Amino acid sequence: MLISAPFIIVNVNGYYDGSGYVHLLNSPWKIAIGLLPPLLIYLIFSIIPIFISFYYSFMSWDGFADMQFIGLNNYIEAFKDSTFWRSVKNNILVVLASVIGQISIGLTLALLLNQKLSGGKFFRTIGFLPVVISTVVISITWKMIYNSEDGMLNNFLGIIHLDFLARNWLGNPETAMYAILITIIWQFVGLYFIIFLSALQTVPKEMLEAAVLDGASEIQKTFYITVPAIKNVILVSIVLCISGSLKTFDLIYVMTNGGPAHSTEVMATYMYHETFSGLNYGYGSTISVLIFVFSLILVFITTKIIRIRQD
Amino acid sequence: MQTRKRQMDHSTTINIPGIKKRGRRTLIYLILLLFSIVNGYPIIWMVMNSFKSSQEFSLNPFGLPIDWIFTNFREAWFTANIGTFFFNSIFIGLTAVLIAVITGGLAAFFLSRFDFKGKKYLYGFLVVGLLIPIHSTLVPMYILMQNLGMLNTYWALIFPYVAFNLPITIFLLTSFMSTFPKEIEESAIMDGAGVFRIFWSIMLPMTKPAIATAVVINFINNWNEFAFALVLISDEALQTLPLGLANFAGAYTTNYPAQMAGLTIVLIPTIIFYLVMEKQIVEGMTQGAVKG
Repeated sequence: MLISAPFIIVNVNGYYDGSGYVHLLNSPWKIAIGLLPPLLIYLIFSIIPIFISFYYSFMSWDGFADMQFIGLNNYIEAFKDSTFWRSVKNNILVVLASVIGQISIGLTLALLLNQKLSGGKFFRTIGFLPVVISTVVISITWKMIYNSEDGMLNNFLGIIHLDFLARNWLGNPETAMYAILITIIWQFVGLYFIIFLSALQTVPKEMLEAAVLDGASEIQKTFYITVPAIKNVILVSIVLCISGSLKTFDLIYVMTNGGPAHSTEVMATYMYHETFSGLNYGYGSTISVLIFVFSLILVFITTKIIRIRQD
Repeated sequence: MQTRKRQMDHSTTINIPGIKKRGRRTLIYLILLLFSIVNGYPIIWMVMNSFKSSQEFSLNPFGLPIDWIFTNFREAWFTANIGTFFFNSIFIGLTAVLIAVITGGLAAFFLSRFDFKGKKYLYGFLVVGLLIPIHSTLVPMYILMQNLGMLNTYWALIFPYVAFNLPITIFLLTSFMSTFPKEIEESAIMDGAGVFRIFWSIMLPMTKPAIATAVVINFINNWNEFAFALVLISDEALQTLPLGLANFAGAYTTNYPAQMAGLTIVLIPTIIFYLVMEKQIVEGMTQGAVKG
């Protein structure tokens, strides 16, 4: 419903320049009205917290009593803290397992399903399902799967007469982290499966047909034409996968809470424990700054590498 | 060279009789079927066992229940306060979606249809939020909310949820709105419509498909969010489903079927929502990668 009243047209003249391009140079306050609310929310609740944690990272503070400025002491402590380094190592493991496991399995499955099979819809729907489910639901379910007594995994090993392999998967520092990595891979394989599947639809058919005429086999077609054609999507997925796997917190918090004996601690859970159980707000803020810096560096490096490869 | 030649020979033999081709198809189906089982069975296992008694669960953990019982659901619903958590999740989730999509939509409108200084930088600044590791802000967010006096209120979750969904919302809506031809506003302006009227009566209706995607993605993210709820909400009456469920499971470690019933109550609406909105959900979650 458009109203055409003369006085509105007068108002409107200010930002219609007649060249077919609409701009608002003459009424910047309208841009401000439109852009300010989201910008403010985004600044206050997404950007400013990063600066807050920077400020508190130089303090010694238990959350209640007076704060004390202690310079770089928290950072020095972090660098000497073996549990912190262990959490960094586990974070790197999560990133590696996600990139290697999720991307390669997702790509393989997408290439397989791309061969014009009937029933593709079914595999897509089932494949993507875990991505939609709440991480808390997934974590509790997998905690039950790994349980030493009634867990599905040990029961299954019993059925196929491999009882000797059965163990308390999450209760044992030797296996806990690997058990978690498998769950993490499981949760997001479907995401990359679907991403690659939709990228594969964009590969020009003429290219593939020409290759067939030249006598290329399925495998040659896949490796010389299909995969290179979706290279950019694969590279972007790697960046997404890295930044996504750096966000791991819920899953570990619910499945093991970082235990046993800190064997599954990642930076985010360690930060949580130090801050809210250890009441060490200054140190917790330091870890949060380090998470931020670590993620930025990692994403920056991968984007750089990918830029080089794209050129 | 030689391996290559052999591969080519191999391909011609595949193409002629069609028998090997069928064999390969079967193999592909088997692999995909295995994947579907690995992907789907843990969820089915959990749902199935929520209908069993504790005794039946330990005797028959893999199959369908012989005796379908519903007491687990009653127990989960009442002891875990799931009704309250449901309401909180829906209320917080929807309010945050509404704010994020309206403000994000307006921002996308100005970013895609108008020209002004610093537009590119502003867009980049808003969208780079996609890469911020959310959990690096858990501790400062707690301190911020404490200072704002918002701890233990619905707003403690609504604002962060809006903030962290704005980047994807603005990304989705801006890229969609940029595809419209310029003539669309021109005739409206000739008719004398103001900027906000153009946004409301022309842009929004045209952007419906992208808005549907943005709404669905926002809502799923909010519905599943756990970490902020854990840190910012301690009052049980304000807890959301993921937090309430985690606490319930922690307290009911010995009674598996009851835990599973709690999970199933939360899972069923998610799955129905997924099956109905699959297109939008998949689009929203994968577009970032496919469009680069």
